[in-house]
Amino acid sequence: MNPEIKAALRGKLLAMADDDLLLGHRNSEWTGHAPILEEDIAFANIALDEIGHAKLWYEILADLEGEDRETYPDRLVFHRLTSAWRSAQITELDKGDFAFTIVRQYLCDTAELARLEGLRTSSYTPVAEVANKIIAEEHYHHRHTRAWVRRLGLGTEESHERMERALHNLWPFTAQLFAPVPDEALLVEAGIVPDPQAVKEAWEGPVRAWLAECNLPAPEGLPPVNIGREIHTEHLVTLLGEMQSVARLVPEGVW
Amino acid sequence: MSYLNISVEDEKQPAGANGTSGDEAAQTAAFEARIERGEKIEPGDWMPAAYRKQLVRMISQHAHSEIVGMLPEGAWITRAPSLRRKMALLAKVQDEAGHGQYLYHAAETLDASREEMIDALLERRAKYSNIFNYPTLSWTDIGVIGWLVDGAAIVNQTMLAKGSYGPYARAMLRICAEESFHKKQGHEQVILMAQGTPEQKAMVQDSIDRWWWPILMMFGPHDSDSPNTPTLMRWGVKTKSNDELRQMFLNQVLPDLEALELTVPDPEMHFDEESGNWIGGEIDWDEFWRVIQGDGPLNADRLAARREAHEEGQWVREALTAYAQREAQAAHAPSTNGASNGAGGAHA
Amino acid sequence: MSDSQWPRYQVFEQRREGAPHENAGSLHAPDNEIALQMARDIFVRRPTCIDLWVAPAAMIFARSAEQLADPAWREGAPQDSTPGAYRVFAKTRHAGTHQFLGTVEAEGTLSALEQALETFSDTAALVWWIVPDSAFTETDPDDAESLFAPANDKVYRDQADYHTVSLMRNIRHAQAERSSEE
Repeated sequence: MNPEIKAALRGKLLAMADDDLLLGHRNSEWTGHAPILEEDIAFANIALDEIGHAKLWYEILADLEGEDRETYPDRLVFHRLTSAWRSAQITELDKGDFAFTIVRQYLCDTAELARLEGLRTSSYTPVAEVANKIIAEEHYHHRHTRAWVRRLGLGTEESHERMERALHNLWPFTAQLFAPVPDEALLVEAGIVPDPQAVKEAWEGPVRAWLAECNLPAPEGLPPVNIGREIHTEHLVTLLGEMQSVARLVPEGVW
Repeated sequence: MSYLNISVEDEKQPAGANGTSGDEAAQTAAFEARIERGEKIEPGDWMPAAYRKQLVRMISQHAHSEIVGMLPEGAWITRAPSLRRKMALLAKVQDEAGHGQYLYHAAETLDASREEMIDALLERRAKYSNIFNYPTLSWTDIGVIGWLVDGAAIVNQTMLAKGSYGPYARAMLRICAEESFHKKQGHEQVILMAQGTPEQKAMVQDSIDRWWWPILMMFGPHDSDSPNTPTLMRWGVKTKSNDELRQMFLNQVLPDLEALELTVPDPEMHFDEESGNWIGGEIDWDEFWRVIQGDGPLNADRLAARREAHEEGQWVREALTAYAQREAQAAHAPSTNGASNGAGGAHA
Repeated sequence: MSDSQWPRYQVFEQRREGAPHENAGSLHAPDNEIALQMARDIFVRRPTCIDLWVAPAAMIFARSAEQLADPAWREGAPQDSTPGAYRVFAKTRHAGTHQFLGTVEAEGTLSALEQALETFSDTAALVWWIVPDSAFTETDPDDAESLFAPANDKVYRDQADYHTVSLMRNIRHAQAERSSEE
């Protein structure tokens, strides 16, 4: 693999892994606090799935870097400085109320699904294999979150208000999910990843339609993305401060 | 996690049936004969009022324990120091929610309402296992809890899976099948940390020093202070006494603690060659009763967290109910809300 | 403060290909779709089943063998006359649970049980359940990959993934060696 493509792929894998990891982490914050017991269990499942997906992408990255796949993912997650993360800002935001969590999960699930459809036929076999493996779980997430978006969107005045507010706050962050990572064009050319513009188009139509059906019309247009994934919100600082705190206590410790 | 710790009230008031009529005495005798034969009691079968009452209390306490128990461990999911530990802890706490779920439903088959059970918990009228009134102060508490707290619970619940009430026994079977991973993941953590850096070993020892006595108290008061035990054993609700279970647990864990060069905060703990038992000092029963009465380190805190989640969730529950009702009306189909063919009743 | 104004649904799971669906427990849900999803989240955390049915618990008509021995067992039974198919479940072992036996066509719930008793007369059931066919929501076999397969990958939920036995054995072995050297 030529070095430019390798560097671009590294960036793409890190982006996908970091997104999944942070989403899973935010979802896990509901454990013990969800609005109903059954949903506590459901959200823990979604969190486990997302963290599992992150681990799979980190492992491909480890192989690419010639690192040990047993230890490299933990090093990336628990010892990497904030500025080295490549998460999309939408995944860093606090979990908010349940409406916020559901809307964020819905927007990210649908984006991930649209991307995975393209990744299933990646010319880079490890990526295709992982995509094929995890897409089934993403289908389930989608089924779950779209059902809740509908019920909360149409439920009561209060739930509708909360959902509207959540969508209004989250929508501006969605564009970044489809912004190309550095040199992504090389990956597209090599057939390793789908064209992000095509992914965005595949995503936008159905999502707008579903949201409209749920009485939650999305704002017009998607704002242009002027920032790269190396620009983070301060939420990430707090998140990583907590997430990495025990590991950093005994940096060489085996847990 | 299963935390059978019969409440103080249960222990102080004998559980015997108070039926006075000859009919009821005959029915009770027939009922006890069924249990003697190893039959399961199912919803709808005749049962003494005291049996039903005991079971509802036991099962709901057990359920509350699972739910409240999610909090001390759940708080550390966001700080778990490796992906493996993060996922295992998340899965464990999720199981606890699931176990609470199975148990509330088993109690509902006895015509208790989950709504009422939860209200009783939040209004401090219901009990849950004391062990969750203690704080988790460090990551290493998580390994110790998994190994020793779940370990203690497993000693109890293997017995409960053979209990006489069908829905409870079936719930316990599912729980038992899922529980062994809880203990093993904790045990693995303690082993690795005890063998790890000096800081890790010191942290683990500190965890054990704080949790040891509360864990022993999980098995409840001495047999001599448990007047209900004989009746509960006759009703197939309990098959071993508190002290028996506590001894089983000690004999299970002390050899490994010794091999890992970890100590317990009991200077009297020693292996008695003659009986083949590990024997230690007396539990501080004053603290036990105090914590049970709701005066433990974190009782108020735990309930406040549950209450908050419950209240926060009100709008969510209302929204889904409103949606379902409108859909049902629109479809003119047999509604899922309240409509029935008259069958009614609760089954599990 | 209410938690359970959502109706109760009974959950039935099929553990293996060819096995009958059996009672797994119940849950509270606001509607059929959510009930089915929750059943999957609550009862299929581990790879223990391949198919799920849910039905509102209020639609289950139950009679135990003890109750059926009383000639007045029809009292208190539903008086509906909803012709159609009814699914029959029976618990036959004390330590077991209610298993799907088959379907009967009947004029109503009560006659469905009477038919079941006749049709499955060689089944010595401890408890009978009758549930209208129309009450069920089922998983779609096409969704098996997203509903049931993922549980297989979560090995960290399996106690076999934790090697405490070999770890302790190695530790004791090393200790024994050290003390024999001393």
